[in-house]
Amino acid sequence: MKHKSQNSEEQIINTTCSSHCGGTCVLRLHVKGGVITRIETDSGQEPQLRACLRGRAYRQRVYAPDRLLYPLKRTGERGEGKFARISWDEALDTIAREIIRVRDTYGPASMLHIRMGADLAHRHTATRMAQVLALAGGFTETWGVASFQGGVYAETATYGTNYGCNTRDDLVNSRLIIMWGWNPTSTVTGVNTTWYLAQAKEAGARIIAVDPRFTDSAAAFAHQWLPIRPGTDGAMLLAMAYVMLSEKLQDQKFLDTYTVGFERFRDYVTGTDDGVAKTPAWAEAITGVPAAAIVNLARQYATTRPAALIAGIAPGRTAYGEQYHRIAITLAAMTGNIGVHGGDAAARAWESIPPFGGYPYKLRQGHDVSNPVNRMVPAPPRGAPPWYRASKVHCNEIADFIERGKAGGYLADCKLVAITNSNYVNAFPNINRIVRAFKSKKVEFIFIQEQFLTATARLADIVLPTTTFLERNDIAVGAGLAFYGYAPKAIEPPGETKSQAEIASLLAARLGVKLTEPKEEEWLRELTRDSEIPDYDRFRKQGIYRLPMSEPHVAFKKQIEDPAANPFPTPSGKIEIYSQQWADLHNPEISPVPKYIETWESRNDPLFARYPLQLITTHFKRRAGAQFENIPWLRELESQSVLINAIDAQARGINDGDTVRVFNDRGETVIRARVTERIMPGVVDIPNGAWYQPDKRGVDRAGCANVLTSDRRSPGGAYAYNTCLVQMQKL
Amino acid sequence: MQLGFYFDQTRCTGCFTCIVACKDWNDVPAGPASWMRVLTVEKGKYPDLFVAFLATACYHCAAPACVDACPVNAITKRAADGVVVVDPAACLGKDNCELCLQACPYSAPQFGAEANAKMQKCNFCLDRLAEGKKPACVDACPMRAMDAGPIEELRTKYGNIAEATGFAFSEKLMPAVVFKPSQDAGNLVPSRTLIAPESARH
Repeated sequence: MKHKSQNSEEQIINTTCSSHCGGTCVLRLHVKGGVITRIETDSGQEPQLRACLRGRAYRQRVYAPDRLLYPLKRTGERGEGKFARISWDEALDTIAREIIRVRDTYGPASMLHIRMGADLAHRHTATRMAQVLALAGGFTETWGVASFQGGVYAETATYGTNYGCNTRDDLVNSRLIIMWGWNPTSTVTGVNTTWYLAQAKEAGARIIAVDPRFTDSAAAFAHQWLPIRPGTDGAMLLAMAYVMLSEKLQDQKFLDTYTVGFERFRDYVTGTDDGVAKTPAWAEAITGVPAAAIVNLARQYATTRPAALIAGIAPGRTAYGEQYHRIAITLAAMTGNIGVHGGDAAARAWESIPPFGGYPYKLRQGHDVSNPVNRMVPAPPRGAPPWYRASKVHCNEIADFIERGKAGGYLADCKLVAITNSNYVNAFPNINRIVRAFKSKKVEFIFIQEQFLTATARLADIVLPTTTFLERNDIAVGAGLAFYGYAPKAIEPPGETKSQAEIASLLAARLGVKLTEPKEEEWLRELTRDSEIPDYDRFRKQGIYRLPMSEPHVAFKKQIEDPAANPFPTPSGKIEIYSQQWADLHNPEISPVPKYIETWESRNDPLFARYPLQLITTHFKRRAGAQFENIPWLRELESQSVLINAIDAQARGINDGDTVRVFNDRGETVIRARVTERIMPGVVDIPNGAWYQPDKRGVDRAGCANVLTSDRRSPGGAYAYNTCLVQMQKL
Repeated sequence: MQLGFYFDQTRCTGCFTCIVACKDWNDVPAGPASWMRVLTVEKGKYPDLFVAFLATACYHCAAPACVDACPVNAITKRAADGVVVVDPAACLGKDNCELCLQACPYSAPQFGAEANAKMQKCNFCLDRLAEGKKPACVDACPMRAMDAGPIEELRTKYGNIAEATGFAFSEKLMPAVVFKPSQDAGNLVPSRTLIAPESARH
């Protein structure tokens, strides 16, 4: 891991980036006198694992002037931002005392732990804190993955697993790639993704973008752009199925061999069961995509082999997002593109989110949490959303849990909130409601581990400063491509910052619980024991271990090549287009036949009269979620702006660069307008992750989209970030 | 010998990694000075659009306008490799001069935010060159859309095209660059060009 460069004082340290974009790209740190002076990327043999702009700017994050270096306690009102420096002893003693007091007074379920994957790691995960709380008696957990809960649910029902992704190098085998709500130029989601897309295009693949925006990915790769209204993706996919059925283009042999329930889907598409044929004309009225374009795309997808429908997770972040994913998977089956090189299973949820990976690997998982509170309730029914349990609170319902507690049917009143690796307040819908709840006296104690004084940290009573991934040892699982990265402690933790693992240990000791905690190096070595890594010490030295792969990984290849020996892990052993498990839930909003269900806050909603613009909140290339917002090298690249089509701007007297207010009943934000042709009329886009900054009237001044988004969740748990009506006005 | 750049415009996604890598390697703070900029050329009306990106640093011209414009000879063209470099100690500063910036059609001369900032610009990462490496932007590009080296070698490898969307070749200055251009087949109008960083001088 450490080499002397030509400059004798300088060390070069290889590591892999950990920033919640799912990149895990290689960074080569120049360290001189214990200080990072420069950051390069992989310079070894191709395919190099080249980092994006965010990783390259990480030096400014480590040494940011606003980096939290000492424990803080709140001295003003919650959210006011007034804090005083305290010692670690005082901070941890206070937290331990509060945990014991709240647990003993109100019961363990009154303690809520919000933990996310903002810092992707294997050892230093948010799970360490969860283990401590579990050992101390238990806590209320959350459920629902903000990025792709709809996808996870759909894939679990249809394939019985979330391992539905190919490694990115397989893209070059595709002859047609449909980028459906997918903009990897900004999101990265797997190192080298865009590089492989370019190679696919150069090898002759046709690339089509279906997206409300003409994204940078569309600009760079797409031969054709089909703008579509947010939340209507399922309708367009159904019409494509209709075309395939009427022209007998479906791969019936594939459907007969590998799937169950296709007939029910066919009857729904043709209208046999509900009297509505899902024709291209029907879809045009809903989606805004011309019928002829739908017919054309359906024919191309059905007749070009192999073809990859990359069904992005953004269209799944809508009301009934799980249905969109199920329809996309059904189309992948109808075209026989599952389990073949150059195809795609239209399953994206865990495509590149370590430690899950998109490919099979043997590295051992680090942590188990056995939470006594989850044992207070019966196991969920078969077919329930992944991670759901009656004892858990969906992340959209945390404010409700705080507001109503037991009276609302929860196991307890919420009295303590612990937050790890999450800027929850900023990142989840309907900030204003969340802030009101966190400020209320109902929550008696809030603590958080953070690197910066985020909107969430400002609401906490105690803030613990944590390390970045450059200040502790860990192992990363490669995203998009099959490799492991050793992420060494490159520099000493600045100030009094401590790692997640160390904080967990120190708190455990104060709570009188024993956290099994072998030394860091022994622990990491142990994780790799039965893995593919032949020589741990060499792995540590080199920093990267590439898994031996004779060809790109293709999901479900075994199941397709030899179905008798390799059934899908579903009850039927097949791809379940009709889901009996979902049928057994008897929830009319969780349709067992993949269906288009019109969203709330659609163009047909009565609210549309007052709020006639559909808001989407997309990923910004200079941030990963809310991370990196405070990094000068990134901030200067592009202003936080609301994208609005020239037609909509003109109707409101808005010029490019004007300051505007965007508002609905949930909130209001003040932001710069970017008037553009690159977004569909009727749709506006505010990139997510700007740091919430309310003024005295409660109006956000930073362009934070989540003051507008709705915390109504999809029945399957999907977050409806992209189902939101707003109005816009020149200031 | 003349060093130059190759830029594959068909590959560029406008991801801005080159800008950040350049600033990190050369320790240029956020602000009005950015040795590397990325132009986004947007053409057409919804939904018929064409967008191309152009990463642009300094083209180390054969006959650099900045060298001619500088009243105190602070800018020189190195005989050995054709790299155009500036001596900040000799530069009169932006409050007094800026003639180089006015002369350069590619906005290569850059000035920081400080009072009477001295000119700074892409120096082809001469320190990396000495170590046998390519410039920071080239080695950073996630798309492998850039290359650098003796311009004759680049022409042999990539061809002679010196035109790209958002770029106008100057016969007088002879910028040292070859392109694989991204072409707007539809000749769409209107068009506009956005520049990142937004704070850069241009």
